[in-house]
Amino acid sequence: MPKDKNENNTLDLAAIREKLSQSRGKRYWRTLEELAETPEFMEALHNEVPQAARTSDLHLDRKQFLTLGAASLALAGLSGCRYLPQKKLVPYVVQPEIQIPSIPLTYASSMPDPWGYGVGVLATSNEGRPTKLDGNPSHPASMGALDAISQAQLIALYDPDRAQLVTQQSSTASWSDFYSYAQPLLEGFKKDGGAGLRFLTPTITSPSLIQQMQNALQLYPNAKWVQYEPVNRRSAYLAAMAAFGRPVHTVYNISKAKRILCLDADILLTSPNSVRYAHDFADGRRVRGTTVKADLNRLYVVDSAPSITGAMADNRLSVRASQVQLIAQAVAAAVGVNGVSAPSGLDADAAKFVSGLVSDLQAHSAASVVIPGEFQPAAVHVLAHAINEKLGNVGVSVQHVEPVTAQPADPKAEMAALVQEMNQGTVQMLLILGGNPLFDTPADLDFASALVKVTNRVYMGQYENETALQCEWQLPESHFLEAWGDLRAFDGTASIVQPLIEPLYDTRSALEMIAALLGDGTAEGYHLVRSYWENHGFSDNQEPFDFDFKRLLYEGVVPNTAAKPVAVTVNPGSISALPAPATVQAGGSSLEIMLRPDPTIWDGRFANNGWLQELPKPFTKVTWDNVALISPLTAARMNVPINKEGAYASPVVEISVGGSTAKIPVWTVPGHPEDSLTVYLGYGRTDAGHIGNVGHNVYPLLNTKNGWNVLGTVDYKGEGYDIATTQHHHLMEGRDIVRSGSIAQFMKDKRMAPDKDTEEASAGAADMGRNLQQPNMYPGFEWDGSAYDYAWGLSIDLSVCIGCSACLIACQSENNIPVIGKNQVMRGRHMNWIRIDTYYESVPGELETYMTHPKVYFQPVTCMQCEQAPCEPVCPVGATMHSVEGINQMVYNRCVGTRYCSNNCPYKVRRFNFLNYNNHFNRDRFGRNVTTLEMAFNPDVTVRSRGVMEKCMFCIQRIDEVRQKAKIENRPVRDGEIITACQQACPTNAIVFGNINDTRAKVTSLKQQPHNYGLLADLNTRPRLTYLARITNPNETVTPDTEPKNE
Amino acid sequence: MSNSLPDSSGSNHLVDPAVAGMMEGEHTYESITEKLTSIVLRQDRHGLPWWIMIGIGFVLYNVLFSVILKLLFTGIGMFGNNEPVGWGWPIINFVWWIGIGHAGTLISAFLLLMRQNWRNAINRFAEAMTIFAVVCAGIYPLLHTGRPWCAYWLFPYPNILAMWPQWRSPLLWDVFAVSTYASVSVLFWFIGLIPDFASLRDRSENILAKKTFACLCLGWRGSAEHWRRYEVASLILAGISTPLVLSVHSIISFDFSVGIVPGWHTTISPPYFVAGAVYAGFAMVIMLAVPLRKWYHLEEYITQKHMDWMAKLMLTTGLIVFYGYLMELFYSYLSGDPYEIAMMHFRQFGPYGWAYWLLICCNGVTPQLLWIPRIRRSNSALFIISVVVSIGMWLERYVIVVVSLTRDYLPSSWGYFTNTMWDALMYLGTMGQFIFLFFMFVRVMPMINVFEMRELLHKFHHGHGAHTEDATHAVEAAE
Repeated sequence: MPKDKNENNTLDLAAIREKLSQSRGKRYWRTLEELAETPEFMEALHNEVPQAARTSDLHLDRKQFLTLGAASLALAGLSGCRYLPQKKLVPYVVQPEIQIPSIPLTYASSMPDPWGYGVGVLATSNEGRPTKLDGNPSHPASMGALDAISQAQLIALYDPDRAQLVTQQSSTASWSDFYSYAQPLLEGFKKDGGAGLRFLTPTITSPSLIQQMQNALQLYPNAKWVQYEPVNRRSAYLAAMAAFGRPVHTVYNISKAKRILCLDADILLTSPNSVRYAHDFADGRRVRGTTVKADLNRLYVVDSAPSITGAMADNRLSVRASQVQLIAQAVAAAVGVNGVSAPSGLDADAAKFVSGLVSDLQAHSAASVVIPGEFQPAAVHVLAHAINEKLGNVGVSVQHVEPVTAQPADPKAEMAALVQEMNQGTVQMLLILGGNPLFDTPADLDFASALVKVTNRVYMGQYENETALQCEWQLPESHFLEAWGDLRAFDGTASIVQPLIEPLYDTRSALEMIAALLGDGTAEGYHLVRSYWENHGFSDNQEPFDFDFKRLLYEGVVPNTAAKPVAVTVNPGSISALPAPATVQAGGSSLEIMLRPDPTIWDGRFANNGWLQELPKPFTKVTWDNVALISPLTAARMNVPINKEGAYASPVVEISVGGSTAKIPVWTVPGHPEDSLTVYLGYGRTDAGHIGNVGHNVYPLLNTKNGWNVLGTVDYKGEGYDIATTQHHHLMEGRDIVRSGSIAQFMKDKRMAPDKDTEEASAGAADMGRNLQQPNMYPGFEWDGSAYDYAWGLSIDLSVCIGCSACLIACQSENNIPVIGKNQVMRGRHMNWIRIDTYYESVPGELETYMTHPKVYFQPVTCMQCEQAPCEPVCPVGATMHSVEGINQMVYNRCVGTRYCSNNCPYKVRRFNFLNYNNHFNRDRFGRNVTTLEMAFNPDVTVRSRGVMEKCMFCIQRIDEVRQKAKIENRPVRDGEIITACQQACPTNAIVFGNINDTRAKVTSLKQQPHNYGLLADLNTRPRLTYLARITNPNETVTPDTEPKNE
Repeated sequence: MSNSLPDSSGSNHLVDPAVAGMMEGEHTYESITEKLTSIVLRQDRHGLPWWIMIGIGFVLYNVLFSVILKLLFTGIGMFGNNEPVGWGWPIINFVWWIGIGHAGTLISAFLLLMRQNWRNAINRFAEAMTIFAVVCAGIYPLLHTGRPWCAYWLFPYPNILAMWPQWRSPLLWDVFAVSTYASVSVLFWFIGLIPDFASLRDRSENILAKKTFACLCLGWRGSAEHWRRYEVASLILAGISTPLVLSVHSIISFDFSVGIVPGWHTTISPPYFVAGAVYAGFAMVIMLAVPLRKWYHLEEYITQKHMDWMAKLMLTTGLIVFYGYLMELFYSYLSGDPYEIAMMHFRQFGPYGWAYWLLICCNGVTPQLLWIPRIRRSNSALFIISVVVSIGMWLERYVIVVVSLTRDYLPSSWGYFTNTMWDALMYLGTMGQFIFLFFMFVRVMPMINVFEMRELLHKFHHGHGAHTEDATHAVEAAE
């Protein structure tokens, strides 16, 4: 090639820059050459073959020919070798002190729960990649466990649809662009004290961010800070203001309560601090062989929207949400709260419930607790405060403390005021820090049209969501694993948020952004957080060995920061001023619509989280969609067809509330209150991301005039919609699947076997639920009795399993389980290794009871590691084999995928990779292939490819990790040293893993309990996973113990 | 050599009843050879029906290739299989096709040993049917695996990992059963073709055909020694094949009966599967014989008597199968096993109840029509009944494989199965493959055993017991 031409071929970066500066909007290019549109590139593009390759006039002599020929041969040989991408790598010259390749590190941090309160986490990092979130045992809101939503925030870090760049009206900008845009505006605001400046944030509990916000408000005294989230604690705030005259935060200590009354409070799943509440609740009701009735706590639930708390209740009363106040009033009157008169209009069931409940509560004064629900009006909260005070619970199981959130206020009123100001044009600059008000503010406020009236709209958040797209500036916010911060837990305890990874994209935290706007442009999150805590008791005089702060980081909890108790008493005036219980006349086509946040994607903010989308929701096991729950009887009355077995299509109803309508498929749930409909918010997003734009938007039903529970008309026009569910059948069909009974029955016969046959079949404590006395052709395995004889076993206590699904996400994260999408779930190919089976039970033969008062059971099912596994002999290639330690091992690379093992598994716990599921969601919303999600993989677990079977192996990688450690230390593995992922996540410690050869192991003692049993053990499978029967402690004056036992 | 043959009415009292009605019309050795070999040697014997069938076969065969290509790139997720229904249409089709093959082996081997002369007219194309059915069947278990490229691990081949298959698995037994079956069937079929290849070699004018047949006939000259060896080889192969008729489908039934799934785990499976296989096989032979004899004017060779006897065999095996259904019900309800009882109830009255009752109609009720002689003698009726039986046998496997799997022990895991378009296309594709291969066979090989028909003619001349191995016969046969 001539040399003069060659010179023109060099890329001119200046030219590219110039081209870029001229262009507007989004551009895509494959190479820099294309971008620069150089003539050479255009020519090459037209000729397809670059000039260099077109040297047709070769004049070779013999020697040159041979040289070239030899070289060609050599290179041809090279190309036959495996192609390895050539990239320069810089190895560690000095290995970081604590970093050993392949050994993960764990850091204590904390993260916000959906309500904004902090939850302590232990984040695991593999070579700098965060790969797992677990609870921090020393954090009061976690106690070592973590709920499903929180654990799933790991995958959000790697979400390819995260906001990655600063953009101004869809063109790329930079942070300095933004600051240079904002600074003059803010300078201008200084004149009038920021009268036109507004901040809109979700609930904030971060002390240093609150500090920054207060700094901002000091600088701009006329500016306003509005905290709004659609799912907020407004009722609690209003009740505190009414009852105590000041914003008081109420924390419950369930471990001190023997009798718990939930007034529509879902303390086990959706309410704030639920992980801690579940932990304390479970501790009060573990049934062992020696347990007597007095040892157990008792849970009364007045339930409206079906909740897992209601399912766990010993005595449950299912009423429409609007009737809960009536019940609360009746209870208040009966316990003798001054100024409350017994309401009329209680039906017989409710009256019986109240009278039994009240005498029980009074018998346990100062050892009981009444908890009002977040979705109940303030009146219920006031009544609950009064009842607790009357029963002497305040200071024992009920703590009134200083508010934990910044500036408690009525979010709905604040938002309405803000929208009004925006409409009036008084808002000149609106800084939205997270949230999605455009999507989730009450429909009648019409936030969208108000927003465009603001001249300067800035949105900062992790996603370019509906709100961001209507703002002028979109600022990408860091994930909590990328940025420094701090949070306060529900009880006020502060903890530090420490990053585990440099921001993946050009993101900042809200803390850094506010600091920069206030003039501290160079401030880094670390210094902001550090300086805050320097001013709050952790002085920074010991650099570089900042021991005080490092201790906070190490422990994950700032000591002695729990909110201070306040001595308040219920103002009697607030009782007399209570509004009368609303009389909602539901009937005909008018139903009471109970709006609730979705149990997995909450208010819609987690819509693009595949783990949460595919997490089966409680009761319905629906994935990827929201459904409206309805009682079967009401559905029949409304002529809405009850979903038939085998039919996927669910009937779609149109709901109208005050002129707004929304369509949603309905799903019948036994035990749902009559004449009402539970509707879950959060779905129907339009700009959530690649996977999140699914489901039906019901936010139009939310308006400022009504509370969470409104009257609406429901109309069924024969439409249908396909729903993906993972469990079609919820009856046990008389099979011995979940053993259950009341404590009274337990005292009579501790084996809890449903009938004589089964009872005889299970030899009891000695064989640990494995039915060892069944015939066997082969002699048993001979253990030599050493301390190194490991026989792994798992015990699940059904009495305390609350069905919260935390174990599912833990397993998904630990074992690299892929997300497969709605269509595949509809085909019946969900991949979860552990699942929560939900069964309804009623008095046999009484359909009516089943429809209205079913008992609900949760049963986590994963591989039983059968000692005589039916899956093993049928595999033609020996891909599933038994280990000496009793693990039914799946050898992925030996599996050819005949699926015979799955057919032959009576528990159906095997999962098959029908397609290459790991490729299903590795695209962003532009359809581009991205690999960020791969960073979430646990490197200790094989990522399964297409065509192989997979299943639970009791987290064999964790077993091996501990075994190696024990081997190095030349000792046997200690009891409790190995913790499976599901066990670690479980808030109630229902799952216990260990060595059943070890007579002192916890799991062994659990398996020797009289009510331990193996699932389908009569098939002679000898399961290593056994269950403790579900024992309830009902108040027999409310629910007579009439359940017939088949003797 | 122009002898008049006795007609089917049996008016000629000289004819042995064992061969009466086995051939109709006026024949000589020469005319038999001419008529049967000309189908191979002359394109004009293949009219529009052949072109239509080969066209349909070709198109569907290409569908099969396309489906397989897609399958290899996408994965078996394109089929309807799921949890809990790990096996769906591919296994149903596998069992269905394997079953069909059984009639061919029964006719060629079992009936040979039983000295049933009537098999002579139908054994050749029935054997071809067997082989093509096995080819169709063999595709499924290979491709229904998650990783078909690793399926060779099912063979006990020597490898550096010293990994052997897992011998307790019925799927492994399947590999041996089916591969033995396929190889023995091919061998038997080929041995039987050798004398006819020799006739074709002698008669073909096209040099390419002549050379090809010359190679295929392995130097057959029709000497007495050749015939002696041929007879011995046939007998030995028949002896090997006959137990295969029983064993192959028994082993396939073990795939199910070894499993603990309610509805699979029964000892009745082996005989019930074998009877079902022969039943389906005869249905397929009838489905092939009816058009073939019409299109190629072979009514004189495949006579109404053949059809009648095949129908009777179909009825017999059908009754055995029906008895199996009744016993299945009986055992289930009497078992006292709640899972078994629930499964049987579900099978009949659950969402897939239609499949069960349709199966009973197709396999249990419809064949009862064959008691009526008039229906056995009506070709169109026989054809329709055979189609119905084939559908019924497919449904039987559907009920066993899919319906049992949808409901086993834990109600929480009960599921549903819906097939996809690809399931159906692959099934159609193997049908195309079968049709294509079969009509190619009809075009290039004699579909009726020429020398055995001549032997039959000889029996007409010389009466019963003329198990002629004499030189005359050999000379005649070689002509």
